[in-house]
Amino acid sequence: METRSPSNSLDIRRLGRVPYADALALQETLRERLASGEGGETVLLLEHPDVITFGRGAAGANALASDTELRQRGYDVFRVSRGGDATWHGPGQLVGYPILDLRRHGSDVHRYLRDLEGVLIAALADFGIEARRREGFAGVWLDARRKIASIGVGVRAWRTLHGFALNVDCDLARFGAIVPCGLADVEMVSMASALERAVDLDEVAASVEDQLRKVFD
Amino acid sequence: MPKQIRMPKLSDTMEEGRLIAWRKKVGDPVKRGEVLAEIETDKADMEFEAYTEGVVAQIVVDAGATVPVGTLIAVLRLPGESEEAVAAAISAPAAKERAPSPPAPAVTPAQKPVAPSTAQAARPPSAPSQPSRPAPPTPPRVELPPAPSGPRVAATFAPEDDRIRATPRARRIAEEKSIDLSEVTGTGAGGAILAGDLEAYLAQLETQPPDADGVRATPLALRMAGERGTDLEAVKGSGPGGRITKSDLLAHWKREHAHSKEREAVMYRGTLQLSQKRKALIRNMVRSKAEAPHFYIEMDVSTEALKELRDQVNRDAGEKRPRLTYTHLMLKAAALALERHPQVNATYRPEENDIAIYDAINIGLAVDVQDELVAPTVKDCQGRNVWQLAEEANSLIQRARMRKLQPADYADGTFTISNLGMFGVDRFYAIVTPPQSSILSVAAISERPIVRDGRIEIGSITTLGLSVDHRVVDGVRAAQFLAEIKRLIEQPRELAQDGNALAQ
Repeated sequence: METRSPSNSLDIRRLGRVPYADALALQETLRERLASGEGGETVLLLEHPDVITFGRGAAGANALASDTELRQRGYDVFRVSRGGDATWHGPGQLVGYPILDLRRHGSDVHRYLRDLEGVLIAALADFGIEARRREGFAGVWLDARRKIASIGVGVRAWRTLHGFALNVDCDLARFGAIVPCGLADVEMVSMASALERAVDLDEVAASVEDQLRKVFD
Repeated sequence: MPKQIRMPKLSDTMEEGRLIAWRKKVGDPVKRGEVLAEIETDKADMEFEAYTEGVVAQIVVDAGATVPVGTLIAVLRLPGESEEAVAAAISAPAAKERAPSPPAPAVTPAQKPVAPSTAQAARPPSAPSQPSRPAPPTPPRVELPPAPSGPRVAATFAPEDDRIRATPRARRIAEEKSIDLSEVTGTGAGGAILAGDLEAYLAQLETQPPDADGVRATPLALRMAGERGTDLEAVKGSGPGGRITKSDLLAHWKREHAHSKEREAVMYRGTLQLSQKRKALIRNMVRSKAEAPHFYIEMDVSTEALKELRDQVNRDAGEKRPRLTYTHLMLKAAALALERHPQVNATYRPEENDIAIYDAINIGLAVDVQDELVAPTVKDCQGRNVWQLAEEANSLIQRARMRKLQPADYADGTFTISNLGMFGVDRFYAIVTPPQSSILSVAAISERPIVRDGRIEIGSITTLGLSVDHRVVDGVRAAQFLAEIKRLIEQPRELAQDGNALAQ
């Protein structure tokens, strides 16, 4: 699944389904190599098996069950150093982890968040879905209530970790164990639920990849 | 000059940041490039590094607080600086740092903090801690933690740039006599405090009558405590003659706030915000239990014939008709029973003080969607066959799961069915949904011993519960109604007839 093109300085890798812990370790390695100059900027595109992660901003109440209960219900549980609250990852959701040096992209954390949103909005437009930003709430939205993609990043010395999660064609009921991103009145939607048809994850990944190159390459 | 660490501006559009955690504590040595703290803005979590070597001398903003960009969050002692020098350097500005500096001496409760004009004054020559970009021009402000009780006083931390102007002699005297300079009105050039101002201030304190409880406090501290209802006996004074000063009061409030947060953290894992639906549910359930006198009856119902019927019609129906479930058949049974007992399909109207019988039979189906309870209603059940009801019920439940219900979809119910059978509940009694008169509680079907013609056999049984508003329906009527549902389930032919069962 891994695709590389030496002519592009932005190395975008499609990894298929990767356990959360493995993907996190890979991100850390890539960030170290970016910091030491051994490696360049990379984006990982992948899916996770069922997992719930809590950002550093997470309020405990946004999990509607204890970690033990969540594990019994088949979720893996992680607490990670990204912004944002609780979220779910799982099959049918396209997860992107850009490992970038923000000093090459304006040294501006908010601009980076807006750029990620822009990438996803443009990719969604490829599929005829009109999505937008919501002032004060990072992520990509169909309207003030329906959220289709989540964003949460961690930055060390301007180098990024974590990224975005776009609901392509996933079991939305799996969000039921959490209050997504700490927003109780938010409905999580997917490309499939918005279009009322099945959507192929690889097609979406290709579109996201194009948009990432436009913005970050 | 100690190094001041300020909330960094990580983005042109960043206005405030949350201090998630300190990685260093007071007394820890810090090297260049070491992570001092973690800061969150929007959905980005940034590790904040030290750009100067030193020792953490003071942490001004605690973890968990959200403060504007440019706010002083910590102070570093640089190599070669003595602790005494740092203490002296910190104490004047730091005392100020914790003190509100209202434009006028009065602090008005609930008033929005106004940055004093002096906040625009030039920065001290020590460089801002964020190296990559110039310090922001925004006058830094910090809101105090809210008082545990009483009206909220929005006080302002005056940052060091906004330092009080005073002559060196006045400063020395203030230190000797433990005077909080922010309480003194300056009469020198540009409002600078002169030694004479301190004498006038002290003289004014001397004329102040002691508090009835023997508590001594400066006039400003007294006023602030009064506005917020703080008991000064619990506050330790560090001002002239042991008086409680503004700084003492602010430190006290901060401690109280921290304690109340700690207690909360022990008691609760967190809090959930109420959705509009949840608020409506709370209102309705309280109203129902408060206004509608409930009584409850239950009946064991044999479900073997119902299962046989369901399997048979699903086999015969083929692809043309929706597959029937127990829920669909229960819905049809309830609809038929309501047609035959219209007094149950009714409501008590307090304004008219009468009982009104509904024209339509609209049955709500309680559905749990991602921990939210909704009851979409199947409208006009009278005269429609079970497949028509099933189709509408399926569509409503599917829309409920996708959260696409419109308000009209759950309005105008005249009766409700709640089913907890799939969760193994043996019997229960739901609360009547106002303004309806009754609700049917459907429990799990289980194999149980039953006595038939003097012999014990094993049968498939479910227990149906009926909760009833006694203002509308009496016990006998409720029993007849539930018995009708029981009969329809145990002899279910009628449920799966094509046309209008009543007309036949």
